[in-house]
Amino acid sequence: MSTTFLPCGEYHQNYHEDHAWWQTRFIKGKMIALMLMLFIGIPYVADEYWLSVCNQIGYTALGALGVQLLIGFCGQVTLGHAAFLAVGAYTSTLLILEFPWPKLLLDLGLAYPLSIFIAAVAAGIWSVIFGLPSAKVKGFYLILTTMAAQFITVDFVITQYISQIGGRGQAFSLPPGTIKIGPWVIDSDLKIYYMMIALVIVLTAAVLNLLRSRVGRAWVAIRDNDISAEVMGINVVQYKLFAFFVAGFIGGVAGAFWISNLAAISPEHFPWFWSLWLVGVILIGGVGSIHGTIFGSIFMVVVMELLQMAVIPLAASYPKLLMDFLFIKEAAFGLAICAFMIFEPNGLAYRWWQTKNYFNLWPFSY
Amino acid sequence: MPHGDKTIAAAESQKAEISRELTIPKLFYQQAKRYGKDRVAMREKEFGIWRPITWQGYFETVKYIALGLIKLGLQEGDKVAMIGDNRPEGLMAEMAALCSRGVGVWLFQDCLMDEVRYIVDHSDAKFLVGEGQEEVDKALSIMKDCPKLKKIIYDDPKGLRHYQQDCLISLREVQQLGRELEKEKPSLFDELIQKGHGEEIALLFYTSGTTALPKGALLSHHNMLSMGQHLMEIDPCQEADDYVSYLPFAWIGEQMMSISCGLQIGYTLNFPEGPETSQENIREIGPHVMFAPPRMYEQMTRTVQVKYLDASWLKRMFFKFATWVGYHYADLKFSKKGVPLHWRLLHGIAYATLQKKLKDHLGMSRVRNAYTGGAAMGPDHFRFFHSLGVNLKQIYGQTEVAGISVVHRSGDIKFDTVGHPIPGTEVRINEEGEILTRSPSVFKGYYKNPEATQKTLKDGWLYSGDKGFLDDDGHLVVFDRTKDVFTLKDGRPFAPQYLETRLKFSPYIKDAWVIGDRRDFLSAVMCIDYSVVSNWADQRKLNYTSYQELSQMPEVYELLEKQIRQANKDLPDVAKIRKFTNLYKEFDADDDELTRTRKLRRAFVEKRYKEIVEALYSKKESVHIDTLIKYEDGRQAHIVTDMRIISIPE
Repeated sequence: MSTTFLPCGEYHQNYHEDHAWWQTRFIKGKMIALMLMLFIGIPYVADEYWLSVCNQIGYTALGALGVQLLIGFCGQVTLGHAAFLAVGAYTSTLLILEFPWPKLLLDLGLAYPLSIFIAAVAAGIWSVIFGLPSAKVKGFYLILTTMAAQFITVDFVITQYISQIGGRGQAFSLPPGTIKIGPWVIDSDLKIYYMMIALVIVLTAAVLNLLRSRVGRAWVAIRDNDISAEVMGINVVQYKLFAFFVAGFIGGVAGAFWISNLAAISPEHFPWFWSLWLVGVILIGGVGSIHGTIFGSIFMVVVMELLQMAVIPLAASYPKLLMDFLFIKEAAFGLAICAFMIFEPNGLAYRWWQTKNYFNLWPFSY
Repeated sequence: MPHGDKTIAAAESQKAEISRELTIPKLFYQQAKRYGKDRVAMREKEFGIWRPITWQGYFETVKYIALGLIKLGLQEGDKVAMIGDNRPEGLMAEMAALCSRGVGVWLFQDCLMDEVRYIVDHSDAKFLVGEGQEEVDKALSIMKDCPKLKKIIYDDPKGLRHYQQDCLISLREVQQLGRELEKEKPSLFDELIQKGHGEEIALLFYTSGTTALPKGALLSHHNMLSMGQHLMEIDPCQEADDYVSYLPFAWIGEQMMSISCGLQIGYTLNFPEGPETSQENIREIGPHVMFAPPRMYEQMTRTVQVKYLDASWLKRMFFKFATWVGYHYADLKFSKKGVPLHWRLLHGIAYATLQKKLKDHLGMSRVRNAYTGGAAMGPDHFRFFHSLGVNLKQIYGQTEVAGISVVHRSGDIKFDTVGHPIPGTEVRINEEGEILTRSPSVFKGYYKNPEATQKTLKDGWLYSGDKGFLDDDGHLVVFDRTKDVFTLKDGRPFAPQYLETRLKFSPYIKDAWVIGDRRDFLSAVMCIDYSVVSNWADQRKLNYTSYQELSQMPEVYELLEKQIRQANKDLPDVAKIRKFTNLYKEFDADDDELTRTRKLRRAFVEKRYKEIVEALYSKKESVHIDTLIKYEDGRQAHIVTDMRIISIPE
């Protein structure tokens, strides 16, 4: 993380101020404006469709946050993150559908919130199990072991066994009214939107806080050079596994959140492609940057929506386009990754940083 | 030039005079009791944060150092020499020396051994407070030549573990001695402070000496305090203000801001991390008041000019527009005729798009008053700062009046004058055109030098040795040192520093030395600014290995010729530079070419570079140099080079 650019006349007399997030009145104002926009502006302006796009962005961001933590801050490349989203989603669903909740909790509407937490812990533990190989293997080999997580979890365990629980067949459908936080039944895009914003803010803040603590510094040390990190007295295995736990935990929350948006969940919601997609999101947003996670999510979701808007009018004359849209989407994804790797390997976050610098250094260049 | 015995005195102040009884320690005592733990007296940047020191903390440290000095044998009137960077401990040591009824003597941190020896010996200093190993080494090596020096006190113990000399003691130990003494005599410190009288000597200040060995000016408590009071009457500061102390304490201007004014107002002094970071640290603090010699402002201007050259096209266009507006706006304000509405609007745009940000970069967004003094500042630099909207004012003064005597008033600024005298000060021009000053701040005389005192102090008037005159608005115009004023070919007097400061507005020129007293034409010896010119040369893919080589490249000569032609513009023919050469090195205070405050020692350089001066006034096209130069670390180098001489025809 770069240090804040402070205007002339702003200085710190103690480390508490020096490490504060929002150090100047200008930044505080900016953040308040951002909050107003998120909580009042967007819900006021956006229609159902755009709210659902926002929800898609939030879901992508929550998923990518864990990937960012593993790849961008701890240097552990993962290609199986959708597995932990699936664990979160299925744990939460099963808890809601099958668990004999005491009546009191059900009446208070705590079943879903509690299930999110349990799902997150379960996903975290599941993630640690697949993180175990990272104690031994690195780089390319680790990528393959994380891919194993995807296939073992989703294609084998969930499809073959979990989905059979309760004899419903492939998909679990959630009856209306079961997704409920306290007195609020989450039944509209607007309510999902508010839940999404709250989760994104809380989890982003939690990760940012972790990153500026001893734990975060240890992760970055491991990312930059694991041998030096070990020499400096960092327990590399322990911190790597903790990174896997936190990433899995966030993934679990994301999965458990997403069931609110799905009428029915099935293994197809968590394909291997989705794991790859999340890595693409952080590559485009910027590896090693929390801003990048958000920018990448916005970019990917919005670009795909725009692509869809472009395809629909053309479909009248070329009906095949609509049929092949899934493949067009994948091709666009590939192209975007290629373009970013070539033209902006540091991602959108770097562009953001450059833009800020352009104005901070105004009227000079350095 | 209007001569005559015209006297001007500022309107008498309304506020009560600082009484003759008041001393700096008494005032310090009052202020420390008043502010206590609630207000921050100083801050020092350390490990990335501005560590605050409250008045209470300041007071206690000073108290224990003062008592410690007493315990070590400090008697009334003993001199305490101090050397080191600007740090809270330096100021605390000075305050402690004054509180224990001693006299403070500051040395420039970069003083060479001979200078330290001369000043320590001449001032009869009994103690020397140094910052760390470097200062301790200097002090130890002169110890045998200065028998009166008893103890060397250091603050930073780094590297001193194996120093076993008995005369060494750390500031911590001194404070410990002070604590012990306090237990024996708890009221001693208060008694010491109450004993003082304003007319007693507080500081012994060595003047930079452009012409001879440094002279020690004796300044009383009242000198210092009345000067500060009068300046603050014109431009009041507030308790909540910030000031950055980064210029040497051995310079009277810094004493004036840190002690004379700082103590009276109670504003916070901020000390930078180190000398290298001072510019960056100033930007962080954003002081409300600034006082620096012109070279600091020249450096800022140069930084801006160089960065401007490297900026992108769009940014340059904005810059051009904003400076064009800024200059015009400043000129309108100078002329005091009022600013038309459309210029105000344009100025608003220029301010919003550029000037605000530029001031932020320079650390000047909060500056209420910026002063420059100690040497002449070129009108171009002066206008540059006003075009940004910085309220820069010229100051005229000298060590002998405890700082300053004449200053611009807000809203009444002319860039070729230094303004009106401060309250309580009278300024007069005598028949010879010399500037005379009389005020409560005029010093008590030179230490152990009655002849010089007699020459400078007559009937309470201070003879400055500067030539000047009063213009039609009663502003004082300082021409130059009397000894330095040239007579041109047509018999007119001419101030070489005027031309030199004009030349220095070019970012490529660091120093200039104009020659031509009673000669057919003027010529100049230039020192290029290495960092700027080397950057310029890199962009043109010119090869060079050293300052010496770069300075002698034909392309660099062409570049400088352009700059000189620019400076020559609008000058009468006789005052134009006709020939110049680039010196193979920079002027340096360690070679005695400059004073410690970076004023050119004209008589010395004329002697040292006799052959260059001769060549400039002969038909030669180059001058052969074969000389030894001394580096700062004491190494010597043999230099053989040919300096080209370029004529600038009409």
